[in-house]
Amino acid sequence: MYGGDEVSAIVVDLGSHSCKAGYAGEDAPKAVFPSVVGSIGPSSLADGVKAEGEAEELKRTLYVGTQALGYRRDHMEIVPAVKDGLVTDWEIVDKIWDHAFRERLLIDPKEHPMLLAEPSLNTQQHREKTVELMFEKYRPPALFLAKNSVLTSFATGRATSLVVDCGGGSTTVAAVHDGYVLQKAIITSPIGGEVLTDCLLKTLESTGVEILPRFSFKRKEIRPGEFELVKLEFPNTTESYYRYMQRQIAADIKESVCRVADSNFDESAYANIPTTSYELPDGKVIEVGSDRFKIPELLFNPALIQAIPGMDKSFNEFASVKGIPAMVIQSINKCDLDIRRELFSSILLAGGTAAMQQLKERLEKELMEEAPQAARVKVLASGNGIERRFSVWIGGSILASLGSFQQMWFSKAEYEEHGPSYVQRKCP
Amino acid sequence: MSWNAYVDDHLMAPFATGDTLTAAGIIGIDDQAMWAYSSKFPEMKPQEVKDIINAFEDSGPLAEKGLFLGGVKYLVVQGDPGVVIRGKKTQGGVTIKKTNMCLIIGLYDDPVTGGQCNSVVEKIGDYLCEQGF
Repeated sequence: MYGGDEVSAIVVDLGSHSCKAGYAGEDAPKAVFPSVVGSIGPSSLADGVKAEGEAEELKRTLYVGTQALGYRRDHMEIVPAVKDGLVTDWEIVDKIWDHAFRERLLIDPKEHPMLLAEPSLNTQQHREKTVELMFEKYRPPALFLAKNSVLTSFATGRATSLVVDCGGGSTTVAAVHDGYVLQKAIITSPIGGEVLTDCLLKTLESTGVEILPRFSFKRKEIRPGEFELVKLEFPNTTESYYRYMQRQIAADIKESVCRVADSNFDESAYANIPTTSYELPDGKVIEVGSDRFKIPELLFNPALIQAIPGMDKSFNEFASVKGIPAMVIQSINKCDLDIRRELFSSILLAGGTAAMQQLKERLEKELMEEAPQAARVKVLASGNGIERRFSVWIGGSILASLGSFQQMWFSKAEYEEHGPSYVQRKCP
Repeated sequence: MSWNAYVDDHLMAPFATGDTLTAAGIIGIDDQAMWAYSSKFPEMKPQEVKDIINAFEDSGPLAEKGLFLGGVKYLVVQGDPGVVIRGKKTQGGVTIKKTNMCLIIGLYDDPVTGGQCNSVVEKIGDYLCEQGF
């Protein structure tokens, strides 16, 4: 058993949008970078079997981190590590961890116990693979896998709560009771920050606004104070990279300009709303009107996606998806009667998308209408947007620093004795 | 080895921290009788035993209604389908492992953790499976 030392643990939260890593005991992660990588070479090593001697040719070069991704390279594709909430490509996860430990945190993994955050719906196979990869390659003295919802709950100091995690790739609602997730009460929806960004991008494109990624232009000063836009051509830039850079800009627009409407979005009511202006990197100024409210409305009413130009084929995928208030009610109804009241009065908001303005107030309002009369509905969210984004990581930082947690680590000796499947027992 | 010895010497043995499980018991699946139990093991009703055995086939009803052991209610958290059921109440919880012929039940309270209870209950379960029980 690993009893804990003076050396502090490392907390890693690999989400679908970004990876957060840092030391336990601190109040924010030191390393935050995208959890997508740039890849040059054959797109997937997972298809087919590599013949002997072909291994060298099939190797691809991966670029991780904001700096590496920001530099445009020919033929560089953007490949995500996490899709639909679960890890799809272990080589990419390996590269991301390596980047976090060796280049950002500058630590030797052999010296620090690792606390990894995992999705609440993580499968047995994924957990065992995570443990195996970590122990075999990085050899930490001890490891623990904690579920995202549990960590968010700890970050707010509660052992029992209903966690609404609005992340980049998906939204997950999970009930946590006394530090354990109630497996049957987890509801997920594919609508997350990335879907909202895509919708905003498509909406802007349909109004004729062309969003130019930063690498595709430069501004030449022709007269003092006046700039001329010069478009640069890079024919070897891949489509995925181009879209990725466009999405970066659209995401920034979304974060600055979008707000959740006070009540159900009505096209006519918001038709006359004054527009907000936003200056694009190329100098063009765009006006955003009712779209400011229409985009976040997708979180509450996914059926609206058919109204967004270019997204109608996604409507079939999203046909059965519910909005956040409906997901919350569904999750609570799957829980035992005894704890439902407590869950209603401690609903926690977490995740990057939860930092959207007015989300908390709107959710509280919708829930009060849908919840049973006797229940007192209280939605809690940290006032600070940074804390909402990192609440899973912060919970991990708190958990790994607790004295009573030190006996719960899954040590390297136990791994060597029992194998990766032992994780199911040690990290329930 | 007598069944009582499994309970007293193995399931109730102290952990490295010095604490022990609160109670442990072994129940046969076919006869639904207690083969062995520790002193603090709660009196289980026949319906409770039946519900648990059925839950290894279909975990739905137990997750909704709750897991009962001697009248005390536990909420079902993540287990291994068909093999292990784990339950949690406000302070402490339970791990139930199914072998070929019996159920091994371990109850724990703070400061013992779920992970510790799992390791000992499941280890005995694996051993009994190997022995044919």
